[in-house]
Amino acid sequence: MASLVSVGRPAGHVEGPSKVTGQARYTADIRLPGLLYGKCLRSPFPHARIVSIDTAQAKALAGVHAVITGAELPDRRIGRFFLDKPVLARDVVRFAGEKVVAVAAESMDIAEEALTRIAVEYEALPAVFDPVEAMQGNAPRVHTDTSAYTHPPVPDFVHPGDDRLYPDIPNVVSQVFYTHGDVEAGFSQATREFTHTFTIPPVHQGYIEPHASVVQIEPDGKVNLWISNKTPFVARSQFAAALDVTEDRVCVNTAPIGGDFGGKGSLMDSVVCYHLAAAAGRPVKMVMTYTEELSAGNPRHPAVITLRTGVDASGRIVARKAKLVFSCGAYSAFTPLHTVHGSVHAAGPYRMPNVEIEVFRVYTNTVPAGHMRAPGAPQIVFGVESHMDLIAQELGLDPLEFRLRNTLVEGDAAPLGEKWKKIRCKETLEAAAREAEWDTEKAAHIGRGIGMYDREPGAFGPSSATLSIAADATLTLMTGAADTGTGSYTVLQQVVAEELQIPLESVRVVQGSTDSAQWEVGAGGSRLTHMAGQATLAAVQKLKAGLTAFAARHMESPPEQVAYRAGEFVNTNGQRLALPRLMAALADREELPLRYTGEYVAEDPVEVTSFCAQIAEVAVDPATGQVTLKKLTTAHDVGTILNPLTHQGQVEGGAIQGVGHALTEHLIVQDGAVTNVHLGDYKLPTSMDIPELKTVLGESNAGPAPYAGKAIGEHSNVAVPAAVANAVFDAVGVRLMDLPVTAEKVYAALREKNSATRND
Amino acid sequence: MKSIRLRVNGQAVERDIPDNALLIDLLRNGLDLTGTKEGCSVGVCGACTVLLDGQPVSSCLTLAVTADGCAVTTIEGLSEGDRLHPLQKAFIDYGGFQCGICTPGQIMSAKALLDENPHPSKDEIQNWMMGNLCRCTGYYKIIESIQAVADGRVTP
Repeated sequence: MASLVSVGRPAGHVEGPSKVTGQARYTADIRLPGLLYGKCLRSPFPHARIVSIDTAQAKALAGVHAVITGAELPDRRIGRFFLDKPVLARDVVRFAGEKVVAVAAESMDIAEEALTRIAVEYEALPAVFDPVEAMQGNAPRVHTDTSAYTHPPVPDFVHPGDDRLYPDIPNVVSQVFYTHGDVEAGFSQATREFTHTFTIPPVHQGYIEPHASVVQIEPDGKVNLWISNKTPFVARSQFAAALDVTEDRVCVNTAPIGGDFGGKGSLMDSVVCYHLAAAAGRPVKMVMTYTEELSAGNPRHPAVITLRTGVDASGRIVARKAKLVFSCGAYSAFTPLHTVHGSVHAAGPYRMPNVEIEVFRVYTNTVPAGHMRAPGAPQIVFGVESHMDLIAQELGLDPLEFRLRNTLVEGDAAPLGEKWKKIRCKETLEAAAREAEWDTEKAAHIGRGIGMYDREPGAFGPSSATLSIAADATLTLMTGAADTGTGSYTVLQQVVAEELQIPLESVRVVQGSTDSAQWEVGAGGSRLTHMAGQATLAAVQKLKAGLTAFAARHMESPPEQVAYRAGEFVNTNGQRLALPRLMAALADREELPLRYTGEYVAEDPVEVTSFCAQIAEVAVDPATGQVTLKKLTTAHDVGTILNPLTHQGQVEGGAIQGVGHALTEHLIVQDGAVTNVHLGDYKLPTSMDIPELKTVLGESNAGPAPYAGKAIGEHSNVAVPAAVANAVFDAVGVRLMDLPVTAEKVYAALREKNSATRND
Repeated sequence: MKSIRLRVNGQAVERDIPDNALLIDLLRNGLDLTGTKEGCSVGVCGACTVLLDGQPVSSCLTLAVTADGCAVTTIEGLSEGDRLHPLQKAFIDYGGFQCGICTPGQIMSAKALLDENPHPSKDEIQNWMMGNLCRCTGYYKIIESIQAVADGRVTP
């Protein structure tokens, strides 16, 4: 695509200068006259009745302007899909870390001092932490009455399933079945059956910007909100509902998002921040500490995954039954859907005619779970791809060979029936195998392992973009979407520059507040390049048509005889009119700037997916169990790459999140409370932990985004844990059924294996 | 309360501050230099890195009084007007940041490295930068950005 002006060429982030100079003001950087600092007292108990709260001494402290408890707030619950979470606990706390009392004070020191002066008496209640135990008849009930919890209809963009919300099973929020074919008939054709269970702990998104909220209430009651939320318009809806006001009473202002990875889509502290501002009569800022993030953020769902697979005599999979149990923690409020939609990947990118996937989301007395990059998929794919290797081993097949026998090929229906076009699953796997030198000899204690995944571009809407041109011909694209760091503004800038055949730097991109931009779903689900990209394309095409009509009038030519070409208009007589001259002429006669809004709703389902095959090469120290990830190959079936720089940034950043998930990251939960509550103990990968990374991109022009782009944001993080676990097995013959793959676990497994060998 | 005098990005600053005030709070709240970011608050993530007499420190762990008589450089002190420091330019051109929240700290650490060792190897860069967490990039492009400056491939 090198013939294009901007598309396909590497472009640094358009908002780069503000970020590298420190000028960019994130939510925590907002300063307002009279600003107070808010802070919450949180429950130390995972499940307890609140007997009494005494706030008198906190209220008496100089510099404290508001102290509020749940009982003083309207009895309204908040959330993204299920409205089940009180703003502050009422009567009962359901996880260690739940907000109980909120204070606003003139400084953070005073706010923290005030918290120490609040006395709360609790009466501990029986608690349940494990989602499988929580489904048993005798399990403590996290919520005793869910009948008052409201939710919208299940949206139609999610994969259709048999959805049962709050079924009659203890603590179950939702039970969903995805079926295709006849799974029992499939098992009857099988010559071998395999069943394995995997467990995956919760992990944190690890963004470096903790959640922040700032609320300012104007004298007329209008509420200004700044929030580290990637979907400002959706946040406005949820926030207005939480306040029981109409949306026009709320303006969500813009601020850069300091990392999202799925975690910045909730209201988090914003509603309590509003109530503090209302009570104090002054603006309030709340910034979570990282300890609050780790103990009471909205981490990736922990899961227990059981897979049963039937294989025929030729090594082909004939049936798959999956039971996926996700703990959603004490509240479902942080999850935007009824289910964990990565569940549809429980059959993997394989030919599998008969499938039944049963998904549970279950309340437990633990930190409420939320979304993280490819929600559900890394958990499930760890199970699916480990299971594939376990089956291959039993069948005496090479893991690559077993996969190649079963990968989807052109013309196949996907396991749940989708008919993808341009299937390049096998080709992607083969490319990874070539790059990783799968067939070459390995030294002792070196192993290689495969993980696979596929995901289609996000296609839920609507998106919009407004392109304006001023009298001096400067172009400004206004989007309502936040750029969470992925480079979406830059891709939109490229679309405008490409269509107008002008230099990239002549297009400004700004994010509008919810009062100034058009409605836009925002970032999430790998949708922006596709959806906001198409909306931008529509806007620029409108602008071109509109300006061409003006140019025709100015040139006194019929519009059909005037064409736009790289910054100027040309008529069939060869007469030329430069864009700045047209704008200068229009300045006298028209109302400037001219604005053109493009809107986009994906009417048809996307027809393509993207395959990803990853191969990890590890070295395992048999004496200590230490696993060193030496090399990671990540092969992707991609559409047209609009911006190679930011595209590769997504591949690399995602891959290293996968490395963290594979090797070091987990929220350690003891008696319901997270115990590794700072970044010294919760181990994100550092610059010393990264392997040699080999990226293979198989580019084709087959995507729904402008210029046939696909999505890349939620691919490279998913299959790494499985690839690493499979590589560890290949290296030293021990199989880990739970994440992360730590030296301690490998060491213990090696000891067990060696003692078993000695006892033989 | 203590009275301190220091230079911040070349400007003389005098302040009366509480004994327990942290340097990060003096910079962010006292001087409105919000380019210095607070991530983990325990000296692990490096987002709050500033230079104290040329040495990189975690300003979230540094008492403001210890800056008395010192020169502090923050991210706001690197560029001259619109003219970006080569590291700032490299981080844009080579994709050394995404969300940008860790970037001021990354760039300040990288500056300290290049001030001490203008031509570090890739391993030396990786080793030096391990105190600055980044969740977006996977570090490859951060290392490349610093390498580009060290190799003289970036002009301001």
